[in-house]
Amino acid sequence: MRILIVEDEKELSGSMVKYLQQENYLCDTAFNFGEAMNKVETYEYDCILLDISLPDGNGLKVLEALKADRKTDGVIIISAKDSLDDKIAGLKLGADDYLPKPFHLSELSARIEAVIRRKSFQGSNALVINELNFDLLARVVMVNDQAVDLTRKEYDLLLYLASNKNRVISRNAIAEKISGESADVYDNFDFIYAHIKNLKKKLSAAGCEDYIESVYGIGYKFTIR
Amino acid sequence: MKLLKKTIRRYLVYSVILLLVEIPIFYVVVQQLVLQGVDRDLMATKELLKPKIGEAVVKNTLGQLQFADRNVSISITTVSRVYDSLASVEIFDSATGRNVPHRILTSSFSINGKPCVLQVKTSLLDNFSLIANIVKIQLALLVLLLLGLFLINRNLSKKIWGPFYHTLGRLQRYNIDQHEALSLEQSSVKEFNDLNRSLEGLARRAQDAYISEKAFTENASHEMQSPLAVLQSKLELLMQTTPLTAEQAQLIGELADAGRRMSRLNKSLVLLTKIENKQFANVEMVTLRPVVLSLLQQYDMQIREKSLDVTFKPGDDISLNADRALVEILAGNLLANAIRHNIPGGKIHITITGNRFRICNSGSETPLDEQKIFNRFVKGGNDNNSIGLGLAIANTICNIYHYKLQYSFVANMHCFTVISVFSE
Repeated sequence: MRILIVEDEKELSGSMVKYLQQENYLCDTAFNFGEAMNKVETYEYDCILLDISLPDGNGLKVLEALKADRKTDGVIIISAKDSLDDKIAGLKLGADDYLPKPFHLSELSARIEAVIRRKSFQGSNALVINELNFDLLARVVMVNDQAVDLTRKEYDLLLYLASNKNRVISRNAIAEKISGESADVYDNFDFIYAHIKNLKKKLSAAGCEDYIESVYGIGYKFTIR
Repeated sequence: MKLLKKTIRRYLVYSVILLLVEIPIFYVVVQQLVLQGVDRDLMATKELLKPKIGEAVVKNTLGQLQFADRNVSISITTVSRVYDSLASVEIFDSATGRNVPHRILTSSFSINGKPCVLQVKTSLLDNFSLIANIVKIQLALLVLLLLGLFLINRNLSKKIWGPFYHTLGRLQRYNIDQHEALSLEQSSVKEFNDLNRSLEGLARRAQDAYISEKAFTENASHEMQSPLAVLQSKLELLMQTTPLTAEQAQLIGELADAGRRMSRLNKSLVLLTKIENKQFANVEMVTLRPVVLSLLQQYDMQIREKSLDVTFKPGDDISLNADRALVEILAGNLLANAIRHNIPGGKIHITITGNRFRICNSGSETPLDEQKIFNRFVKGGNDNNSIGLGLAIANTICNIYHYKLQYSFVANMHCFTVISVFSE
């Protein structure tokens, strides 16, 4: 899987590359508009991470060029502006997703995975990890072919953890994932512990191995040995 | 009291006093003057008559003299005292059938050793009616004069103070965040021009300060976003390193929390400036009830975590003509506030009645300082996660839509009420 990271902040770009490489993605980087246009025209990517505000141009122009060439690369806009207008403009132009800065790398990784899965033609709508089987369309999880009765938030949480398997995910990232925008207003994440406990209880009752490991002081980790 | 009224009132009081005092004094003075004149005439007549009386006594024709003038009478007395006396008396006039004021000079003297009394009288009727007429004319003139002065003064004041009232009106309508200069009219009065110039300068300086402060907040928060993103991403990479000791993990976790707090703070500041810059302009009809219901769902976990008892009584529903995102932020911030400062097992009451949206929550047992709570970075309670911008943001949203945001402490509940004008 090949990913292009268009981001002028070199440090941030470096972090993304490092995290995504560990997920076995091939990463190219472009630090400005010209480079981005060059690479987009030359190669095909499974997913392009596109910063809107570049020193020498607007990232949305890259998106426009892509669509004009009828390329099917997946595009996730990453923007520091966090403005609804940018989001709407980007999605209208055909971006697959929008992620405001600052974001969690685990969140980015999960989104990339979702975009690539949607884009790939032979992509199944299932994600299988040992006895866990996600039906991504129906948003249902099966353990040994038995559906587990999870709430929507529990399902999202489990999928998020599973999408970042063997990575430590901070409790902040988890809280943001499951409480959405309210996490910005109400920043008390004590509820996460109870939430994870419930999820683990349901999974083990369904006969699933205990994959969710807590990392003291930081968060959680979905471990596959 | 209005400026004009104040000056005019002084004039009125002065005029009335002047009229009340001047007219009687004038009357008395004129009367005295007239009497003095009459008295002089009477004395002159007496002096004129005296030698004639002497002559008449010698010729023994006193009787004839007496009949010559009805106003002169003379009699011989036995009292040999020499005196002059003047008196005002009313004498009945048979011709008009009225009492007529007269001035009488009674003079006693002796002629050829015989004491005699001479009385000379003159009617004051003509004099008095003349005085009355003079006073009337005088009164009319005075009233006209004062009335004229009063009117001229009022109009002049109005004209002179016109630029002042204009300036005042402009100042009252002036809004520092409207990005327009305070332009005041030129006046022909130097003082007003000075005042206007000073005010314009003041407004310009205030606006400059306001703009640069806002620009600073904006720039600072925008520039902070990139390093924050870098910080957060590096921390996440650090989390993935192995081996990770418990001590390191703890430190990284705390760093991540601090970073998150910072980015939350930053987001809130950006949001505040965006609201103030009126960058939320997708105004539409937003009904409040569904917004609250979805918020309650969003905060479900936090509410359950604190085992709060939430009641939502949407008596009516308010339709707000506003940006949906802002309405959600407003209600969300108030709800988050009610959850954050609540006690475990506490209560939250949400009601919509008429044009009021109210959220009440249990919490600390002392009322909050109404003056301060809507200011930025005022933190209530001991929740370290509060960044002290929630209510400031709510208040800013209310301000731009001209809603009222009120705080009250009723029956041990902290209540925040948003009062909207009914959107048409």
